[in-house]
Amino acid sequence: MISVRLPASLAAEAGTDTLTISDPVRSIADLIEVLDRRLPGFGALFDDALFNFAVNDEMLLHRVRDRTLADGDRVELIPTISGGAG
Amino acid sequence: MPLRDRVARLLAELPDRPQYPTQGATAFVDLERRAVSRAYTPLPVVRALLAGRGANMFYLYRLLDESLEPLDAEVPLIFGSGVLTGIVPSAARGNATSWSPESGVLMDCNAGDYFPSFMKMNGFDHLVLYARSPEWSLLHIRDGEIAFRDARPYLGLDNVDLRARVEADFGGTWTRDLAMASIARAGENLVLTSAIMAGPKSCYARGGPGAKMGALRLKAIVVQGQTHDFETAQPYKGYNREIAQKLLATSVVKHALRTTGTPFLYKPSRILGAMGTKNNQETTWTDQLDANHIDPYRPGMAGCFRCPVNCRPLNDLKTDPSDRYGRGDGPEYVTLGKFGPNIGIDRIESVIRLNNVCNDLGLDTASTGSAIAWAMELFQRGMITNRETGGLDLRWGDAAAVEQLLFMLSRREGFGGVLADGARAVERGHYPPEALRYRMAVKGLMQSDPHDARILKAFALGLAVSTRGMDHLRNRVTLEINARINDDPAFKATLYGGPVSAAPTAYDGKELAVRVCENLFAVGDAVGMCRFTTKLFNSPSLPGLDQFAAQIGNVTGLVTEPADLDRVGLNIMGVERLINRRLGVGRQDDTLPERWFEEPVTVGAYAGEKIDRQEFDAMLSRFYAISNLTEDGVPQDAWRRELEQTLGGL
Repeated sequence: MISVRLPASLAAEAGTDTLTISDPVRSIADLIEVLDRRLPGFGALFDDALFNFAVNDEMLLHRVRDRTLADGDRVELIPTISGGAG
Repeated sequence: MPLRDRVARLLAELPDRPQYPTQGATAFVDLERRAVSRAYTPLPVVRALLAGRGANMFYLYRLLDESLEPLDAEVPLIFGSGVLTGIVPSAARGNATSWSPESGVLMDCNAGDYFPSFMKMNGFDHLVLYARSPEWSLLHIRDGEIAFRDARPYLGLDNVDLRARVEADFGGTWTRDLAMASIARAGENLVLTSAIMAGPKSCYARGGPGAKMGALRLKAIVVQGQTHDFETAQPYKGYNREIAQKLLATSVVKHALRTTGTPFLYKPSRILGAMGTKNNQETTWTDQLDANHIDPYRPGMAGCFRCPVNCRPLNDLKTDPSDRYGRGDGPEYVTLGKFGPNIGIDRIESVIRLNNVCNDLGLDTASTGSAIAWAMELFQRGMITNRETGGLDLRWGDAAAVEQLLFMLSRREGFGGVLADGARAVERGHYPPEALRYRMAVKGLMQSDPHDARILKAFALGLAVSTRGMDHLRNRVTLEINARINDDPAFKATLYGGPVSAAPTAYDGKELAVRVCENLFAVGDAVGMCRFTTKLFNSPSLPGLDQFAAQIGNVTGLVTEPADLDRVGLNIMGVERLINRRLGVGRQDDTLPERWFEEPVTVGAYAGEKIDRQEFDAMLSRFYAISNLTEDGVPQDAWRRELEQTLGGL
């Protein structure tokens, strides 16, 4: 079982801030497919360039779709932006 | 040559009427003689540098006397609004430019809110301010005229009280027909980390502009007038709608900026192990400062002139209404980082309160937070003691002590006078020379962003080569941490004009990304576009050179292609480097704090990472080569001559 925590903006659309995935998934790529089946249209949101995946508090910066997942992993979608002071 | 002679010579060369529809005048304001002269930026300069930050550099280049000191009243303070400021959605910005009293190199800072747009509404693209006013004065701009007012009744007022008094005395309503650029007591007292406030929070922040304005004895510039549409070369509103739709359809705007604002970045930074903590001795901090902890204190969002994004979080700590610092505007991510992890504070309420104090006192939170963090590390190491601090215990995380320090700093009282000298504390004899080892600054400017860039090599290169000092807003390759883009090498190569390594820790090709961002962001500043909504800073989908070129054509009638604008961005950087060269800046200054070369990151997936000197030096050389710069970081001869011909005055 894998838990997927959503940022507030997606949680509002999904109706929950945490999804529990009991389907067998071996990678982030598998996870996106499962999520897209479960929440039609969400695949595009997960593939949105704004969001990075973090697995067990490790943020993935590249080679993401191949990242393996295991039972009990905590996955989170985190927006990546920058700010500033003029 | 005295500045008045330089101004006279320049005025003789400048056109006396607009060179294109919507062009505003440049007002040369002699504060001592209370005299105003007007002219217009010539077309060759506009074609090479546009307006805003770009033409500001033209005026500074022509008027700067580097034999003086930055706070000398013969060194001008220059405001500039962009070509599209006040006209295009999210283009509400302007720049303030001079010789930085804080860093000693180029000062160039940028603000939004309403002042830059209202300046343009009154027919001014640039204000060149010089010569010290005999008494404290206030400039009042209305119906295209500039009047000098006595500012003595406003002396000693900080931002909250000043805004209330000005609104009462001048009439009008903020955000509708009244705007202001002003200094608080920190600026009056020449605090080197002081800002020029352009709103409740918005400010021209970096490089000590508040001190520069204070040195001219100018308390405020009040701008009034009804907003109006501009007479443009071609219809432009239809394309404005397209730009607004593009903004609002972009994921970063929909899912982050409009809902929470920039504090979202705190969490990825701390998870990555890239959150500057305790003056960058550590790189991660508590989850108690994650953006969701601000939610209960965020009553809404605010925005700048005609910006559909509204990304500025307001705050309300729900304290007693008489609590001056119980509510305000912000914090942005920078303030969250600088007044959270960087000084060891772990309560969100404390960070919000200190944010409100800084906004009232007119302080740049980046430099002020960094100066405090530096002092705290020196105290931790025993390099300064209670004797130097006047008995103050500079412990990490003591929010009450920090609040006290901010007031002392703004008044230059006791140890506050040391902090008020910012990054120059060693030079002015407050700290021993070895303290420089722990100063998180480049070219004398403390780091803008709370991010620790030992992991991210494009970010690190950008901080090193930024012309105003250690600042990410000039060229940050934010998409370096974007996994979707890293995993699509073909798309990434399209964005940056060549292959850029997908690995954040790699050095390969990172110079290409910094070059493209630096050009684009300089153009953004020259047209007045907000950085948050400019392509490549937060998204590959936001308006960029294509949209700027199209709307410049519609608004001004000047035909320009995206490639021409890319060249404008390069030119702006080139002129800035020519100015910096006159101020003694060379290759040795395009570097990073020692700590990042010597101390590895100790936490997270990238533990062990630091900046490799040889790799960095090679990357810097590649950056110079693709930027048409010499090995010492100035424009190559042919380009330098071309720039000098455009700038004239030699």
